[in-house]
Amino acid sequence: MTFVRRAWAVVWKDVLAERRSKETVNAVLFFSVLLLFVFEFTLGADRDRLASVLPGLLWLGVLLAALLGLGRSFVLERENECWEALLLTPGDKSAVYVGKLAGNLLLMALVEAVVLTLFTLFMNVDVGRALPGLLLVLALGTLGIAAVGTLFGAMTAHVRARELLFPVLLLPVLVPVLLAIVKSTEALLAGEPLGVVSHWLKLLVAADVIYVVVGLLTFDVLLEG
Amino acid sequence: MTRWLGVVAMLGVLAGLVMAFLVAPREMTQGNVQRIMYVHVPAVWVAYLAFLVVLLGSVAYLWSRAPAADRTAHAAAEVGVVFLGVNIATGAIWGKPTWGTWWTWDARLTSVAVVFVIFIGYLLVRQMTDDPERGARFAAVVGIVGALNIPLVHFSVYWWRTLHQPPTFAKPGPAAASSAIGAALLVNFVGLLLLCAYFIAKRYDLLRAQQEATA
Amino acid sequence: MTSDHWGFVAAAYAVAVLALGGYWRRLVHLERTLKTPTLRRRRSAGR
Repeated sequence: MTFVRRAWAVVWKDVLAERRSKETVNAVLFFSVLLLFVFEFTLGADRDRLASVLPGLLWLGVLLAALLGLGRSFVLERENECWEALLLTPGDKSAVYVGKLAGNLLLMALVEAVVLTLFTLFMNVDVGRALPGLLLVLALGTLGIAAVGTLFGAMTAHVRARELLFPVLLLPVLVPVLLAIVKSTEALLAGEPLGVVSHWLKLLVAADVIYVVVGLLTFDVLLEG
Repeated sequence: MTRWLGVVAMLGVLAGLVMAFLVAPREMTQGNVQRIMYVHVPAVWVAYLAFLVVLLGSVAYLWSRAPAADRTAHAAAEVGVVFLGVNIATGAIWGKPTWGTWWTWDARLTSVAVVFVIFIGYLLVRQMTDDPERGARFAAVVGIVGALNIPLVHFSVYWWRTLHQPPTFAKPGPAAASSAIGAALLVNFVGLLLLCAYFIAKRYDLLRAQQEATA
Repeated sequence: MTSDHWGFVAAAYAVAVLALGGYWRRLVHLERTLKTPTLRRRRSAGR
């Protein structure tokens, strides 16, 4: 119970700080809208050609927005000199990890909701039937991205050239998650049943378990700063 | 001690070269270009073993905070990246005459390239951190995530490439290997493994000397 | 009969030798700078 409460305290602190400053969410959401324009301009408005690369674009949008958002999460703690306070959290430091992870999941869920809505509106995607499966893939993939992103974000907050090193570390590690979500999104949007992508779902679950467990076990090492 | 390991490794590599060029027969379908396999394939095996050492060393370091464990992981990561680089370069040179292209997004090439980039990131983290003790902790976390990620990368890339289009290309490696080809691969593997162990040992000694000099 | 591409075989082994030999030379070079007393003195004096 106390573990949950301590994690909740971290989530609530982040939500509160964000509600008052509105720093990250507004910028990241606006950025994902801008990405839509960029995709449209660079790839042309040809509907048929866009349709074939849509799953990739969708996830590229989410990923780029996530890179910005997740990278900020711990940089904020340093800028506001709250790192010592995190260190002073009583008991197991993995509660801080869970709290930060939950906050990042919230942020990413928000971004995904916006990106998905924009894509259905502006790029004429028919998500209707595929939506339940798509949401499952989305949830599993987001957990994987956020789990590694939270862990590496805590690390790169203390490193030179952090804006550079964060994506450089994160992207190659996330290759399995990316392939899984893009390939399953492709299949689901093509109208295939969820069973067709079951091997990808298993891979996502395995990746989520590995990343979260490693995160829980190693986070106190990173929190030392 | 390290010096003797070097001498033995040199002998092992020479034995591997003898096996590759004098003992192993000309491969039937590919011709002599297949002899590249004797350095290409063992190099990736050795590199992955080195990354296993990185995993063990990283876990041991976070567990005990013993500098020796960190030095082992650091040395193994560096040497592993070198061997993986050799694997990728020789693979490209083999691919040009065999597949007609230096690079193709083949499952094995791609997964090896991803692992290569992950461990370059491991080395970068150390370089970008000012405090070496902090760098050791950070690198250990990256090493653990990176090494545990290898099977995930392997399966995902394999499914990505093969699910909708079965591989039609010739695969690198001994598909229908004769016993002499298998023996040549094995001898080269042992030779490169000894060389890898020598490099790691020497790098380890140097890291200790460096730490003692700055302490 | 497929052609043999000996040039590619030579190139592959040359690249392997260059990479592994280059790494070895780097290690030897590092060892020399660490062990040379004059260099170390200069390094510690520079601190």
